[in-house]
Amino acid sequence: MFIWKAAFRFLIEGRSQTLFIAVGIAIGISVLIFLNILITGLQQDLVNTTVGSSPHIVVSSREDPLQSLFPAEENKVVLSRTGGLFDTTRPLNEWDHLIEQLGRRELFTAVSPVAEGSGFLSRGEKNVSVRIRGVDLNRADPIYNIEERMVEGDFMVGKSQVLIGVDLAEELDLAPGDLIRLSNLEGTASSYTIRGIFDLGSQAINASWIFISLDGAQTIYQLSNAITGLELQLEDVFQAEELARRLEQSFPELSWSSWEEENPDLLSALSSQGISSYVIQAFVLLAVALGISSVLAVSVMQKSRQIGILKALGISTAGVSRIFLIQGALLGLLGSLIGSFLGALLLLSFFTFTADEAGMPLFPISFDPLVFIFAIAVATLAGMGAAAIPARRAAKLNTIEVIKNG
Amino acid sequence: MADLLSLVGVNKVYGQKVKTHVLKDINLAFKKQEFSAIIGQSGSGKSTLLNILGTLDRPSSGTVYSNERNLSSLSDDELAVFRNRMMGFIFQFHYLLPEFSALENVLIPHWLGQGNPPPDILKLAKQLLDRVGVSERMNNKSTDLSGGQQQRVAIARALINRPGVILADEPTGNLDSDSAEQVNQLMREINEEFGTTFIIVTHDRHIAARCDRVVEIKDGAIVQDYLTAEREERENWEELAPRYCNLRKGEVEWVNKR
Ligand SMILES: Nc1ncnc2c1ncn2[C@@H]1O[C@H](COP(=O)(O)OP(=O)(O)OP(=O)(O)O)[C@@H](O)[C@H]1O
Ligand SMILES: [Mg+2]
Repeated sequence: MFIWKAAFRFLIEGRSQTLFIAVGIAIGISVLIFLNILITGLQQDLVNTTVGSSPHIVVSSREDPLQSLFPAEENKVVLSRTGGLFDTTRPLNEWDHLIEQLGRRELFTAVSPVAEGSGFLSRGEKNVSVRIRGVDLNRADPIYNIEERMVEGDFMVGKSQVLIGVDLAEELDLAPGDLIRLSNLEGTASSYTIRGIFDLGSQAINASWIFISLDGAQTIYQLSNAITGLELQLEDVFQAEELARRLEQSFPELSWSSWEEENPDLLSALSSQGISSYVIQAFVLLAVALGISSVLAVSVMQKSRQIGILKALGISTAGVSRIFLIQGALLGLLGSLIGSFLGALLLLSFFTFTADEAGMPLFPISFDPLVFIFAIAVATLAGMGAAAIPARRAAKLNTIEVIKNG
Repeated sequence: MADLLSLVGVNKVYGQKVKTHVLKDINLAFKKQEFSAIIGQSGSGKSTLLNILGTLDRPSSGTVYSNERNLSSLSDDELAVFRNRMMGFIFQFHYLLPEFSALENVLIPHWLGQGNPPPDILKLAKQLLDRVGVSERMNNKSTDLSGGQQQRVAIARALINRPGVILADEPTGNLDSDSAEQVNQLMREINEEFGTTFIIVTHDRHIAARCDRVVEIKDGAIVQDYLTAEREERENWEELAPRYCNLRKGEVEWVNKR
């Protein structure tokens, strides 16, 4: 098509002008990509350290209205680093069905039933308050990464076999194979064997959590087949809140609480970080668009002769416009292609210079191809949009004026 | 036979407050294959008239017809299509596109009208360039050609869509006398070979004398419209032929000496 050819030729003939603006666009787009990937990486890292090894959504029974009249300290649901605390007085009975339904949604990377409660660990003279958490290890592991973080002993639990945290082990001088006594709040106690010791990276957890099999905990708390709650993890952590609210609609008799609800500070930090990054990116894009627009405005003046003659030869007004719209898009495309390259270079050098002695980057980043594709698409569209005004002016150019004035 | 191109009661007024009446009630018709000159003093309205004939400009009042089709009622884009099919333009400042080669410049009208040129159009373009004597330089950038060569490429460009009429505004105004002579010769030959109508605005009475018809305008009105001696001569050719058979047709001296 002639208009494509004309657009290409006009750009190629304006060599230095084209190169100049392309480099300008490239710098803008490289900043855009750099910022985008950096902030995304940073946020992912923050979120990961916060909720990477804890449930994203915790499901429990709705609070018993009677219970809330006498709120006991233990009944408070506290998530964050210590995970969900469930109330043994509000068991979930028909959870098989619920798990089956949730499992059908492919959104979840982990669905782990929990039967848990408070209790005491006694060893000789010493008596320590603990959290006894009955889980199916295979289902809980994707959430807590216990297996990877075992310090000693075996990664297994049973009806009378437990895992304890390093801090608890240290405090009471316990090792795998040792016998301990666990009791519920009513004081009913039995003996258990320590199979292993874990370090989940948080003191609160390491000093109080005890993993036991599901049926082990059900026995301690006389829950028969019931559980106290479900812990869920998602592919995309940022969907937790929305999903929790949606599931609440489907299962109103249950309480769905997301990590986002429990970490409002982190969330507002993330969102203000995100917003400022987007504002910067928007302004960079605006500068890029203005650059393209002004270069094309100049180009329309420079090419007015050609436009006039093409009109005399029978080009349509839309054809004239398109020549300049295409030029805008091509500038955006060319600039953003160079910009993608520059942006990648910028990221690599940033992480090389800020790496620690072992060569590990500050935080892991991923060169998400979508970011690049998105930047290129946006720059191309912005280029075309920026060309709209010059293109209009070109289309309106009066042939006579151009021909008359030589 | 319908007139190829005609103006009926055409006026052109420039300016909103201070009005300049550039063309005054022009009635003018051109026949197929006619080779006409429009002459007149600078500022008399020649270019304005030609631009209106070429649908590049619209009259303030009056109508432009082509083969009884009212062109004044067409939209800008419809006129663009009409120009592309029906008209060729040659301007004083040759106006080739410097971004394209000579050959590409010749192909532009076809490109605009019908898209990518097929082999036969490419062949035609080369033939036309050959005909105007620039075929050796057809792949040169148009800016690398001399003024005369550029103007000849512009003539080839005007011919590529085989238009019914070619409008030329001082086509030799910017050329030295030798190049001007070549270009004039060429236009005349094309007129005869292809039967293309030519309407040429010129200052040069010399050139005008060699046209079939001369339209002279003064202050926006037609003051003279006559067939030239040569045209009359040619109409009487059969009668005169024996006497001048040793003289080449179209030589200026011959016309002027008479
Ligand atoms: N856009 C315009 N606005 C006002 N007046 C104009 C405009 N264009 C042309 N004119 C006037 O119209 C008149 C005729 O102009 P035109 O260009 O047709 O003359 P011309 O016969 O071609 O002259 P030349 O031989 O110098 O090319 C001139 O007096 C000119 O000043
Ligand atoms: Mg003029």
